[in-house]
Amino acid sequence: MPDKVEFVTIFIDGEAYQVPKGANLVDVAKFYADNDIPVFCYHPKMSPVGMCRMCLVELGNSVDRQTNDIKYNADGKPEVMWFPKLQTACTTTVTHGMAVRTDTPKVTDARDDVIEFILTSHPLDCPICDKGGECPLQNLTMRHGAGVSRFDFDNKLHLDKHVPLGELIYLDRERCIQCARCTRFCDEVVGDPVLGFHERGRSLQIVTLSDPPFDTYFSGNTTDICPVGALTTADFRFGARPWELNEVPSLDPYGPEGANISLSTRLDRDSGGVTIIKRVMPRQNEYVNEIWISDKTRFGHHHSRAENRLSKPMVRREDGTLETVSWNEALNTIAEVLKKSAGSVGAVAGPMVSNEDLWELRQLVELTGGSKLGIWPATMTGAEAVAQVGVGTGTNFKDMGKGTTIVVVASDLEEEAPIWFLRTKQARDRGAKLMLLTARPTKLDKYAACILRHHHGETLNAVNNLIGAVLSSDGFTFEESRAEGFDTVKKAKYKGDEAGYDEAAKMITGAENVVVLVGHEGLTLAQHGDVMQSAANLLILTGHVGKPNNGLIPVWPGANTQGALDLGFSAEATADALSQSVVIVAGADPVGTDPAAKAFIASADFVIALSMFDTATTAIAKVILPRQSVPERDGTFTNGERRVQRFYTAQGLIGDTRPDWKVFSQLSNLIDPAVKVRLSAAAVMAEITKNVPRYAEMSYKNLARMEKQFPDVGGDDLYYGGTAYGNHGGLGVQWPVDAEAAGKKLTLKAVKSEKTAKRKGLVAVPVRRLYDRSPEFSASQMMHQRIPSAYAQLSRKDAEKLKVVEGDDITLVFGDGKVRVTAKVDGSTPEGVVLVPVNLTDNPVPTAPMAVEVEK
Amino acid sequence: MSIFKGLGTVVKHLLEDPVTISYPEVERPVRERFKGKHALKRYDNGLEKCIGCALCAAACPADAIWVEAAENTDEERYSPGERYAKTYEINMLRCIFCGYCEDACPTEAIVLEHEYRLSFTDRRDSIYTKEMLIDAPPDGVPETPQKVEPGAFDRAIPDMENPK
Amino acid sequence: MLAEKYADKIAKIRSKYPDLRSTVMPLLYIAQEEYGGLDESSLREVAELCDLDPTEVKTIAGFYTMYWENDEKGYKKGKYWLQVCTDLPCALRGADQFFEQLLDHLGVEDGGTTEDGMFTVEHVMCLAACDKAPMLQCNFHFLENLDMEKMKAKIEEWRAEAKERENG
Repeated sequence: MPDKVEFVTIFIDGEAYQVPKGANLVDVAKFYADNDIPVFCYHPKMSPVGMCRMCLVELGNSVDRQTNDIKYNADGKPEVMWFPKLQTACTTTVTHGMAVRTDTPKVTDARDDVIEFILTSHPLDCPICDKGGECPLQNLTMRHGAGVSRFDFDNKLHLDKHVPLGELIYLDRERCIQCARCTRFCDEVVGDPVLGFHERGRSLQIVTLSDPPFDTYFSGNTTDICPVGALTTADFRFGARPWELNEVPSLDPYGPEGANISLSTRLDRDSGGVTIIKRVMPRQNEYVNEIWISDKTRFGHHHSRAENRLSKPMVRREDGTLETVSWNEALNTIAEVLKKSAGSVGAVAGPMVSNEDLWELRQLVELTGGSKLGIWPATMTGAEAVAQVGVGTGTNFKDMGKGTTIVVVASDLEEEAPIWFLRTKQARDRGAKLMLLTARPTKLDKYAACILRHHHGETLNAVNNLIGAVLSSDGFTFEESRAEGFDTVKKAKYKGDEAGYDEAAKMITGAENVVVLVGHEGLTLAQHGDVMQSAANLLILTGHVGKPNNGLIPVWPGANTQGALDLGFSAEATADALSQSVVIVAGADPVGTDPAAKAFIASADFVIALSMFDTATTAIAKVILPRQSVPERDGTFTNGERRVQRFYTAQGLIGDTRPDWKVFSQLSNLIDPAVKVRLSAAAVMAEITKNVPRYAEMSYKNLARMEKQFPDVGGDDLYYGGTAYGNHGGLGVQWPVDAEAAGKKLTLKAVKSEKTAKRKGLVAVPVRRLYDRSPEFSASQMMHQRIPSAYAQLSRKDAEKLKVVEGDDITLVFGDGKVRVTAKVDGSTPEGVVLVPVNLTDNPVPTAPMAVEVEK
Repeated sequence: MSIFKGLGTVVKHLLEDPVTISYPEVERPVRERFKGKHALKRYDNGLEKCIGCALCAAACPADAIWVEAAENTDEERYSPGERYAKTYEINMLRCIFCGYCEDACPTEAIVLEHEYRLSFTDRRDSIYTKEMLIDAPPDGVPETPQKVEPGAFDRAIPDMENPK
Repeated sequence: MLAEKYADKIAKIRSKYPDLRSTVMPLLYIAQEEYGGLDESSLREVAELCDLDPTEVKTIAGFYTMYWENDEKGYKKGKYWLQVCTDLPCALRGADQFFEQLLDHLGVEDGGTTEDGMFTVEHVMCLAACDKAPMLQCNFHFLENLDMEKMKAKIEEWRAEAKERENG
């Protein structure tokens, strides 16, 4: 919320309310007066259009024009001049002295008539409609519908019923009531205008002509906000009736945004009578994802029930064969090895490993005398920078608008963190300025106010030059009491006169709030650490730290990378961890995703893999323990904004699996009986709160705390916010950074600019695509058409030199690795660079940039 | 005197037909509106009336009905419209034969009929599956799934009379 | 391809408008004239020229009645697209009978195209020439104060014109 909100008095059905001036009447009536004005086309997250006419109310004015005061009559009631005709509430913003009547016969009659008109051509599909039971039109018909229609049944328009808008969303043309929520969502909220209205009047229908159809990462959200069953997902088609579902709060297991979701579960005969996820719905958390989720989050849940899930512990015998064993035997085997390991134990944790697992894993490794704790993928670092100047607690993209500058560094936000892309785009629509420090054009380019293009790998210099431009800009002052090390920055002598950088510097110094999102595209691990530090310097120098909507957000590669860093794991330690004699790999597949990892792990005698699937890492493991998927267990993740959030047990167990924290805790107990076995994830978190100062407030009770959120969705009145779910699992808690502690001095550590080497040959730059072939996602059959086939992207010039044309099969050779991919040639790829998406090929591609040769 | 009166009554009853019948050789007809075992009905063309909407399960006060739905295609059509019941089960131990399911059904697919001989020796046998509940198709009409003309059955709810 | 064939025309249109998005309607006319109606490929072509999503172009083509969409109608527009106003003021001056006679004469139904692909006849709402009814619009040119005699002559004229073009 903006700082200064002016409140005005309005009267709703005779009662006076103090409400923020200029707010929408429908929102205000609901939030302050608990008065549900029925709507179809209005949605609190979109601008009003007044198309459906359902929200008609009587409006009046009680203000005396001369004095600008509210006129009261003798018995203290306002004297209202009523407008002669009804007005739509959704296109009305509240003003001082406004009076509204929502329950007069005139109003109810009008609404009854609107419903009657809408129903003239709405099919009687409710029994077979996926929306039936949670349908705004159904609910409002119960409230306003006439018992008998005056229209002829035969006059109903019969249109196509099962029109696929792509393979994810189905359209039922008959059911559409032409509210335009879906088209406006695509156009206004996402910025992908891939849905549109065709024709007019009664023949109006929704069409898409994009290729592939309905080409957006957010298509599923249109089914939530559709006030009828016109748009439904292929995933949930006839899956269950809404009233049979059990809602369990959970978290997106893929991205660093930590999107809140609600898992709709039900018993299922085909799955052997266990409770399974029938669909994934967004759960409102206005700080994190509002009420939107990406299609990856929505449709990726099938991996938790994939047929190839590992279900039993396995031990590799002397002759190399795998044998299914009991948990006792598997754990005893591991404990024996760990006892003899003499401290040469390393652990590498993947992106979907919860904080509880990480903590117990660390306890186990430390108990054996080891200390190497790595993360996977080991592409990003910068825990220190985050601890100093991560975004202030209470940061909310929703509050960013005019006066905010959002800087995106070395990241393709749409692919790497779609929710942040959406929210950044919306902040920009509200007036925030967007600055990009990227090496290639991305979808954000069209929204950017300033693009500082540089070569892949030279991001550090770009950030440094920006600092240089800030230092030399007019009126730059730095309060030296805030941080030490200012002289190191001055000594570094950054270039400040690059073209375009002075404009960019003004956008930062002149902004009230600055948020910097840092990715790792084109950067090695060390370079990325430098960029993080330099970005932190920039923020400290300009004072954009320690307050909400200011600071650093790393675009981490996974859902709990931040948690891993908080609990003592790091990307720098990964190589060391992999080369210990005993290596524990939890929820990661280093061998299958990076050719370099193979060399490191080759020196390990004993690899223990905790995995949900058969991978290249389990293929070399001596003991394989089956992991549980996120929906099968409870725990916490920490998102990129350092918000620790809970997820809850939703799905019945598949196979004989145990949560990782339990496995590690039991192993610790086997090694040293004095160590107690933890009995629940909550108990592990209690232990973390005692030992990790930053997590002191993160008890499960605190994480589950709720507050009233605006807009008020998830109630019985489904018509207001769509079927997005209210939050019953907690909003989570952010840990404060150093910059927020009063009096704490920050440290500026200047990073020297790199000499830009003459570029020779081609460099393979790994890029992240949202839809990839990792087993945690590709188990969702329905997504297969959307996952790109293995490709590499070349610039036109390079392609010409190599005599490669679009669609050619080429081989990429790097070091001793090789992959076969299809060439894509386009103008957006910078010269000298081959963009290679990770997790799309059969053989691993490098996770850091390296020299590559292209063979035909 | 009274002894003859008593004997008279005995003789009178001896000559009357017995009130009891010899079940199970003889069965007494049930009342027209008797509610016994459920039957899932079919249309004359053999398609199932049940569209898997689960409104019967929602209406059931004893939570005795379990429905899982799936999608029809013109290649494999079970019922008119898009949806049919893939799983349909009634737990007869739970059922209280109230007939609410019949009232809730939008296609008149479920009917409580006159069969009352429901006994089992295992609790698990009390679950009646769709195969046990559904009527046989009329003579000369194929079993479901049927292969039908594309677009011939695109509406799940049968045409309703205009309520005058 | 429109971009090559009508390069001058497109450049002229672009110079008139502040951004590419605004050029979509005149470009749709060009595409419609060139291809005898709009279909998916021509919509995509226009979308590319205007830097819009094809969906947006389709919604525009669908909203306005001056665009003929082959995909929606199921057949191509005739070379001469006759839109007869049959609204009340025109009907009072006999436009509805005129329309019926015209359909009979050409042997088509309302909205249909003649078998030789020459004429498409449909009734439309007001064309703002009530005082000169019966009237019609042929390829966006008005023909006013019509009767069947004049119309028959005109049709013959068009047929001859088309034949000439075919031969020449």
